[in-house]
Order: sequence, then C-alpha cells, then structure tokens
Amino acid sequence: MIPINDFLVLSAILFSLGIYGVLARRNAVLILMSVELMLQAVAINFIAFAVYLSPDQFTGVIFAIFVITIAAAEVGLALAIILRLYRNRATANVDEADTLKW
Amino acid sequence: MTYEEVIFFVIAVPTVGGAIGVVTARNVIHSALFLILSLLAVAGVFILLAAEFLAIVQVLIYGGAVTILVLFAMMLTRVRDLPAALDGPQRPFAALAAGVFMGVSILSVVSTEWPGETEEINVISIEQIGNQLFTTWAVPFEIASLVLMVALLGAIILARGEEGE
Amino acid sequence: MGMEDAYLIPAIPAAAFVVLLLFGKYLPRGGDFIAILAIAASFALLFPVLIDFLDHADGTEFVPGEKSWEWVRFETGGRDFEIRLGFFVDQISIVMLAVVSFVALIVQIYSVGYMRGDPKYGWYFTCMSLFAASMLTLVLADNLLLLYAAWEGVGFCSFLLIGFWWERRSAAEAAKKAFITTRIGDVGFLIGILLLWKEARTFDITAIFEFAERGGFNDADIGGIGLNGSAYLTIAVLFLFAGAVGKSGQFPLHVWLPDAMEGPTPVSALIHAATMVVAGVYMVSRMFPLFELADQVALDVVMALGLITVLLSATLGLAATDIKRVIAYSTLNSLGLMFVALGSGSVTAAMLYLFVHGFFKALLFLAAGSVIHATEKQELPELGGLASKMPLTALVFLIGTLAMVGVIPLSGFWAKDEVLHAHESYGNVVLYIIALVSVFITGLYMTRLFIRTFLFEPRDRHSWEHAHDAEPVMTLPLIPLALLTIVGGFVVFDGVGEAMGFPGGFGEFVFTHEPEGFDFAWDIAVLSTVSAVGGIIVGWYFWSNGGEPARRAGERLSPVYRMLANRYYIDVAYQWVIDRIVLTLGRVVAWFDRNIVNDTAVDGSAGLGVFAGFGMKFLETGKLPNYALAIVAGVIGLAVLLLVLRL
Repeated sequence: MIPINDFLVLSAILFSLGIYGVLARRNAVLILMSVELMLQAVAINFIAFAVYLSPDQFTGVIFAIFVITIAAAEVGLALAIILRLYRNRATANVDEADTLKW
Repeated sequence: MTYEEVIFFVIAVPTVGGAIGVVTARNVIHSALFLILSLLAVAGVFILLAAEFLAIVQVLIYGGAVTILVLFAMMLTRVRDLPAALDGPQRPFAALAAGVFMGVSILSVVSTEWPGETEEINVISIEQIGNQLFTTWAVPFEIASLVLMVALLGAIILARGEEGE
Repeated sequence: MGMEDAYLIPAIPAAAFVVLLLFGKYLPRGGDFIAILAIAASFALLFPVLIDFLDHADGTEFVPGEKSWEWVRFETGGRDFEIRLGFFVDQISIVMLAVVSFVALIVQIYSVGYMRGDPKYGWYFTCMSLFAASMLTLVLADNLLLLYAAWEGVGFCSFLLIGFWWERRSAAEAAKKAFITTRIGDVGFLIGILLLWKEARTFDITAIFEFAERGGFNDADIGGIGLNGSAYLTIAVLFLFAGAVGKSGQFPLHVWLPDAMEGPTPVSALIHAATMVVAGVYMVSRMFPLFELADQVALDVVMALGLITVLLSATLGLAATDIKRVIAYSTLNSLGLMFVALGSGSVTAAMLYLFVHGFFKALLFLAAGSVIHATEKQELPELGGLASKMPLTALVFLIGTLAMVGVIPLSGFWAKDEVLHAHESYGNVVLYIIALVSVFITGLYMTRLFIRTFLFEPRDRHSWEHAHDAEPVMTLPLIPLALLTIVGGFVVFDGVGEAMGFPGGFGEFVFTHEPEGFDFAWDIAVLSTVSAVGGIIVGWYFWSNGGEPARRAGERLSPVYRMLANRYYIDVAYQWVIDRIVLTLGRVVAWFDRNIVNDTAVDGSAGLGVFAGFGMKFLETGKLPNYALAIVAGVIGLAVLLLVLRL
C-alpha cells in the first residue's frame, strides 16, 4: 500500500508551489489560482490523515468537503472583487493597487 | 515499487506538473489550462485515497464551475491585452520563501512518527459520510450553505456594476 | 453641658463656614447673621464650660477636661502611629477662649457697618467664620498635630483677609509677604514637633510633658550626633519657638505685621491684634513646662528676641505715618513684652497681658477704623482736630491709648506691672532698664498718634468737614471694649476674682507652678508710671500744636529719621536675599525642569515615538504581494520554531 508520507509530501509540494505563485505573480486572477492550489493541498492532507490515521472518526473527510465548498464560494467572491478593481483602475495588477501606502 | 506506488506517481506527476505550470506559465490562458489539469489530477489522488465522493465533488465543482469562473474573469479583465510581465519584482524572495517552506514541511512530515496504521487505507463509505454530515456535522453543514448564499449575493452585488449599465 | 462639650465651641463656627461657603451667595445680606450667631453661640458656650471647670476644681487645684477621638491609626507591629482629634480645657485655654470669642463677636458686629456695600461682603464673613473656627481649635487642641493644623488654618485665613482687596497690588503683596514670612517660622515649628515626636512617639501634649519629666529626652541624639542632657529638648523647643517668632512677629520675622494693615481694619483688630498674633504667646505658654525643662538658653532666647522686638517696634512707631501702622508697631511692642514675660518665667504675666491687650488693642484698631471710615484717610499728615467732630471715637481712643501706655488704673497698667515685676525678679538690671525705656518710648509714640489724629488744627479741612462719629452698629461695640479696658485689669485682685467665682485673682487662676497672689510692688509701679507719664509729657511737648519741636528734631537727626522711616533697612536686606539667593536657586531649578524633565524626559520620549513611527512607516508599501510575503515569512518562522522545539 501507499505509505501516508507520499501523500503528505505531495501536499507539501503543492502547497509550496501555491505559495510561490501567490507571492510572485502580478495578476490578481493568477494569484487566485495559486490560492486554489494551496487549498487543494490542504484537502489532500485532511483526507490522508482521516483515511490513514483515524478511520472511525473521519473528521478529515468532512472537513475536506467543507474546504471545497468554502473555496468555491471564495473564488466567486474574489473574482467579483477583481472585476470591481478592474472597473475602477482598468488593471488587474495587484502592484498597481497601492494607494493605501505611506 | 509496488504497482500502487506506480499508479501514485502516475497521478502525482500531472498534479505537480500542472501546479508548476500554473505558477510559471507565460500565458495566462495556459496557466488556467494547467490549473484544470492539476485539479483533475487531484481528483485522481482522492480516488487513490478511496474518497470517491470527494473526487466526484472535486471534478464537478472545480473542474466545472471554478475553472469557468476563472476563465470568464480573465476575459472580463482583458488579461491578454496587458503587456506587463506576469511575474512581480518579488520573484526571488517568493522562490526563497516557497523553498524554505517546502523544506520545513517535508522535513517535519518525514521525521514524524504518525500514530496508528500508516500503511493501510481504510475505505470510508459514502453512506457513512452522509450519515455524519447530517447528524454530527449538521450545524456546520447548514452554516456552509449559508456561507454559499452570502457569497452568491455578495458576488452579484459586487459585480453588478453601477445603475444604468 | 460641661467641659466635655468644649468641642462645640470651634465646631459651630466651622459649620457656619461650610454653610456660608456653599450658600452664602443665596442668603440675604450675604449670610452675615449666620457668622455672627455662630460666634455668639461660641461665646455663650464658654460659660457652661467655665462653670463646669470651676466646679471640678478644688481651690487652686484645677483638673483639666479632655475629650478626644481617634482619627487615623496605623498599627505596625509594636510601633503604632496614631493621629487624634482632641480638645483640652485648662486655665490657659479658658482665658484664650474668652478673649478670642468675645473680640471676634465684637469685631464681626462692627464689620456689619464697616464693610457695608463691599462687593465681597458675604465672602468676608465666610473667612471670618473660618478664622474663628481655626483659632478656637488652636486654643483647644490637645495634640501638637491638631494645633499645627489649626495654626496653618489661621495663617491661611490671615492670607485671605489681608489680601481681601487683592485688586490693590499692595494688598496682594502684603498677603503674600505675611504668608511666606510666617511659613518660614512654621517650618521650624514643624521640625520641633517632629523632634519631639521622634523621642516621645506621641503628639499628645500632656503625654509629651510626662515623657519629658521622666527624662525621656535626656541624651537623645539627632541623626547620630549624640547630645548631652537636655540639649535635644532645648533644640526641639527652640524650633517650636521659631513658629512663635513667625506668627507673633518677633524679630527677625516681624516684617509682615506692618504690611498686614492692607487688610480691612476689623481684620487688623481681630487677627493682627487680639487673636492670631498672640497664638505664638499661647503656644509658648502651653508648652512652657518643656521650656523650663530645657536649658536656660531657650528662655533666654525668648526674652532676648522679645526685648529686641520691643525696642525695634517702639522706635519704628515714632516714624510711621499711617494710623494703622503706628498701632501695628504698638502691637509688636506688646507682643515683645509678652515674650519678655515668658522669658522671665512668668506665664501669669504673659497671659494677663494677652488678656487685657486683646481688649484695648482691638479698641484702638476699631476706633481707628471709625476714623478711616469717616474721613477716607489714614495718613497722619492728613488728619487732625477730629476730637470735636468725633467725640465718642476720640474718647474711646484716648482710653485705649492710656491703657497701652500703662497709666493707672487702666488695665494696661496692671498687666505691664506684672510683666515688669516678673522681669525684675529675673534679675538682670540692664534688661530691666531697657524695658522701662521702652515704656517711655511707648508713651512718646502713642501720644504722637493721639495728638496728630484728634487734636489741634486739622490738616485737611475738607475731609474734616465730613467727619462724624460712626453709625451705632460701629460705635456700640466699642463701648464694652472700652469698659473692659478700664476695669479689666482689676482681675488681678483676689477679691474681684472670688466675687466672680474663681478661687482668687488672675494669678491664682493662671500660674506656672504655684498660684501667685498679687502684691502691689510700689517701686515698680512708681517707676513705670513715671516712665509712662514722662513719655506722655515729652510727647505732648514735641507734637502738640503743629509739632514744631518734632520737626526740628527730625531735621537735626535726619539720618536717624531716615533709618526709622526705612524700617532699619531690614526689609531691604530681606528683599536682597530673595532676589539674589532665592530667585537664583529658583532659576537653577527652573532650568532643570525645563531642559531635563521637560525636553529630555517628556518631549524626548515622545519624540522617540515619532521618530520610530517615521522610520517604520516605509513598511506600509500598499502592495499586496509585500504583505503576503510578510505573512508567509511569519508562518515560516513559526513553523521553524515548532520544528526546532519538537526536534
């Protein structure tokens, strides 16, 4: 069988790539996609723990369902906000939305 | 290497490859496509973990709704028209942070003694999930539906635009 | 109703003060009747207390009455600290109560007329009530701390009342001068109290006396410096005396009393003649057992300063030109004599002089007040010939003058006689002669005052035309004072005392150790009368009918005259000290406060905050990716920490 560590390492790699995307990308939509990656990694982690380590009380699976649900809701809202931002500033670049500075 | 592990690699490679594509592609549409690849591959991972229900949910929601949303947002914000580079000035720091994080988390994963059976996957039937969802987790379930409604309303209001448009 | 209710005597004016303070504005006539009723009640309460006191006595064996309440108590394992509120009735306090309450009552009735129309009429009576309460507490206090508190209270009231017309610059300055000068004495007083407490561990006066008699103060030490025998007690007692020097205007702290005449005249009559300034005499009389147990040097200092003050004030009285100033110098003269009596060892003489002085000095001031009220003037070069226009005032002023000089059979004579008697038994002939000379000079300047104010040709015709005796509310109070001035001295006789219910004359009521019967010493009486009358005759020669001889003498002795007119330049010297030393010190402290405390500590720490803020504001770039990096960095930091801790 597949040892749990494999899944956990996979999730760690996914999460790190998501972090890189969030920090390095300029476009807001791309950042959002990177966040989605991170949420995926989290869901994998939850399910892996539930399935391997506590099968009788599989809280992790339920949690993963909720993670997916909330992620979907969040994507909808975030994209609405990005649309607003685009309408106000004619750009979806987060680097150019910096009026709240010193 | 058992055949299960082979299958695991077969699923894992698109996952990670898609992820790398998302964060490094030059063209945003390519990024979106790589995202679809990665998400579907994660559905495969879920199947490997014997959580079929979640795999189905993943495909439906992510593969269906989320990617459509993302592509629409790209269209509406004219991503292709803007010539600016896609990567910000933080790229080296981002790489450093991501690398350190990867190192730390893999290190902690590998060095932990997980309690319980770490080799055997226990199948959790959809029946059990359903049961739990409507009994123990009924309240979070309802709250989640509430959150979805709020998000829906919020998105509509935010994206609606000014009066008269 | 007896001795144990003596606390009501100060309590009623205190209550009147509170009522007037809060509601004086809304009461009709500013509430003056409340103040007067309160002090009348205090005076009335004196009698039950006195009768009870005499009842408890057995011949001349008097039993003091006491009542006290605990106010604050700290218990610190073995050494308890306690502050009590207590009242003590004995012969000295009864004499003081009589003088204070009676003169206060008379003065307040007089003030109704004198202060009429003043915009701060109500406030005047409020201050008067507070003063009455404080002074009465002072004379009844049974522990030094309460006495000191009341001491400060009367000083404060003096400040308020001297500066009553503070819109006048000179009045405000005089109030400040009075307060600061007496404060210097008060610091010494407090040090004395603390020195006594340090060894006796109590503030209660009777307990301190017992402690001293047991020899508790012997060989005590101050700050590690061992002292022999009664040196400690002597030092403590001298510090106590410093308070009396300030409050009773002895040299060198006498400078405030002449300036205190800036206040309304009834205030001068009450506070700076009859009551507050004698608080020092009262205090020394009360603490006299300690003075006796201390080295002789303590009493010598008392007498020395008293004599210096007597001579100083008498000579200055010759040159002063303001009526009230001359009477103020005469007050200083009398106070000096009281301390001379104390220094010679006779509490009887001092208290007797205090008793009669209260009456005739108040009489003099109030009569002068009538003159000022009628003519709107108080400078001698502008007065004269008022006897024909203000006969009653002139008559009572004459009675007061003769009493002050010490002409038989007025009260002043008997008191001065007692003082001289005590002084003579002290033994030093030179000092005795100095005292007699002062009697002569007193005759001189008092005669000058009377002549220049009331007799011969008026200098200022216009104000003379308008002069008249004052309204009844101002002249009627003078009559009891005048009567007491005439007959008050007879209390020295046993017959008179017994007729009033006392075991004998004044000397059998107030005494140091043994009751003193009154002996009429012919030699002293003759000498003092000769000096006094001599002074009057010489004064008459110099100043009558225009005062030609005086003017010629003044021109020939003009340097002496100038020195007197400038008050021996003592005020100038004090001002120099203040300007050079005190203000310089003040500048140093101000520099410290401005630069170090304000700029460095306060502004500096604030500036540090601002500087840090300016430096750190660059973190706020406004760019989302920067913030996200910060978050991730924090998370990584935490993760590393957890990993390290776990490993």
